[in-house]
Amino acid sequence: MLSSPIYLLAQEEAATAATEGFSYVSLANQALNGIGIVGILLLTALGLAITFGVMRIINLAHGEFIMLGAYITFWMQDTFKLDLLMTIPFAFIGTAIIGALVELTIIRRLYGRPLETLLATWGLSIVLQGVIKLIFTAQLKYVKSPAYLSGSIDFLKDDAGASLISISYYRFFIIVVALALLAITMFLFYGTSWGRQVRAVTQNRSMAQCLGVNTKLVDMGTFAYGCGLAGVAGAVISALKTVAPPMGQDYLVDAWMVVVTGGVDKLIGILARAFLIGESNAVIAFLLNDPTARVLVLGAVIVLIRYRPEGLFTVQKRS
Amino acid sequence: MSNVVMGYKQSTFPKRLAAIAGIALLIFIILPFVVGSFQLSLVSKLLLFGTLAVSLDLVWGFTGILSFAHGIFFTLGGYAVAYYLKLNLSAANNTYGGELPDFMVWNGLEVLPWFIAPLKYFPIAFLAMIGVPALFAFITGSFIFRSKVSGVYITIITLALSSALTTFFISQQAYTGGTNGITDVSKLSFFGTDIPPVGLYFIILAYTVFVLALSWWLTQSNFGLILRSINENENRIAFLGYDVAQYKIFIWTLSAALAGVAGGLFVPLNRFISPVYLAVAFGTQVVIWVAIGGRGTIVGPLAAAILLGQVQNSAEKVTQDWNLIVGVLLLVVVLFIPNGLMSLVPKQLSLSNLSKPKPLPGAAATPVVPEGMTAEAKKETVQRSS
Repeated sequence: MLSSPIYLLAQEEAATAATEGFSYVSLANQALNGIGIVGILLLTALGLAITFGVMRIINLAHGEFIMLGAYITFWMQDTFKLDLLMTIPFAFIGTAIIGALVELTIIRRLYGRPLETLLATWGLSIVLQGVIKLIFTAQLKYVKSPAYLSGSIDFLKDDAGASLISISYYRFFIIVVALALLAITMFLFYGTSWGRQVRAVTQNRSMAQCLGVNTKLVDMGTFAYGCGLAGVAGAVISALKTVAPPMGQDYLVDAWMVVVTGGVDKLIGILARAFLIGESNAVIAFLLNDPTARVLVLGAVIVLIRYRPEGLFTVQKRS
Repeated sequence: MSNVVMGYKQSTFPKRLAAIAGIALLIFIILPFVVGSFQLSLVSKLLLFGTLAVSLDLVWGFTGILSFAHGIFFTLGGYAVAYYLKLNLSAANNTYGGELPDFMVWNGLEVLPWFIAPLKYFPIAFLAMIGVPALFAFITGSFIFRSKVSGVYITIITLALSSALTTFFISQQAYTGGTNGITDVSKLSFFGTDIPPVGLYFIILAYTVFVLALSWWLTQSNFGLILRSINENENRIAFLGYDVAQYKIFIWTLSAALAGVAGGLFVPLNRFISPVYLAVAFGTQVVIWVAIGGRGTIVGPLAAAILLGQVQNSAEKVTQDWNLIVGVLLLVVVLFIPNGLMSLVPKQLSLSNLSKPKPLPGAAATPVVPEGMTAEAKKETVQRSS
């Protein structure tokens, strides 16, 4: 877990902070760069918020769908010399198709048996890693980020012109993509008839069926959409770090923490949770150190699940 | 139990089970004199992994708590023994010739930390091997099980625990040896003489037999019945007046202690321990053994661990994609053989069947008759009322 990119980001920030000593300016810089972590968390957790939050599928292969998205981007860039931005739609479609196939062959047989689903998706994650390793070998791959996304935005400079508070364009790009995806997803769920059908199926499957909703198609579509989102996350993240078969594992636990701490019925809650976890990680890493930050945040998440298993941002319901 | 209900008395000693177990044990006793030293250490290792899987089976297969954290208990026990063996390394064998283990010297420690120093003495290390994992399990168990958290959320908590503890152990380099863990430990010795590999094998075999017997006895008892009822329907068993949380905490702690001892025996065999065994990946490996072997079968997980380990050993000579095979196997088992490979074994040879004494001739027929009669009687009453 130490190779987790979130961890690495925090590490590199803490390293720059350490040389400067404690100051409110560098704390502000750290907090701003924590936004980058928030973006990654939001991106990786959004797909999971659909598959687990809405459909209640324990998908431990979520990290592998992120990995698939990253490999699709790598492959497109390698063969067609496409810009990273152009590969995002293909990453979405590719992983969504694989997701639909997985739903059709595996997940569909296991509805209502969460522990079996958990095991099967873990098996699936091993298989996907193995297959990718067979095709692309275990070698690390590199994805180029577009030139216009290099550099950084400076908010505050010191007298010599060195930036004190700044955020790189790429991190900014990540958070923009994450927010855009969140907005699109919310529109799909609350503004279209497909979204209404999905919500109907999750609330009362048999009643939805009686009213003529094709529940099997809805299940498949929703799962495929969640996997597609993971693919987009993989495509965007691929340029941050090297692309390798086990890369998905690094994001899995973090994504789960974001999804699990929240209520499931409000998609907007995921933004608040990603912000809370990402920022507290960044700030604690600045004040103390990174492993402590990670241990503390994970500990806090455990305590949170213990006392509020229904989530942080849910309204108390009568059941 | 059944002998009381059915109204006849006979010895409850399971003769057939004892016979089969005896034959299996005999094979394992003869084994070290037949195979080479590599196979001996491999089988020793797999027996330990098997007992670890059995300890998870108690928690998951019988009580229904799926945990990815069993590697934690294994590793905690392992570290206790690793400190003991490291501290008992003779000064000549130590890299720096002093008392202090090499990794502490590298990280600038000058005195042995107070919480590690007592582990130099065997009784304390022995107690720590059992006590530390058990205490950790008791604390986490009391924290988790006394709440409305259930099922999948507990599994997610164990994932987080495993991830957090891995990070913690890697970061505390001066005390735990960081990513490398504790390496180059001394051999386990008994009053000054080193225990040979065969001796270690028999200690491990004895422990495996102990774990199997304890698990069998526990799950056959009324206590095991309650555990299984918790798995089937937690609310109903709570309504009957049982304190479900207490049962869960007990089995969780016991299972952790069993896993801890397995970890402790693993160190003298493997000669090192590292955070690898803390990580989620190893925890998953244990889950896979139990899933493939068969939940709630006791013998299944052990058999699966030994079988998969042997197959992996021979497969790795041919292909590097062993993991892919495990993944496919796991998928196939979950989808098509949900009760694991043990469910493929004929019914007559299943553990629960063998544990029962052979019914007396004629006794088996009696309970069937009244059942059929009641069904017919019911039918009649239905017809009459309509």
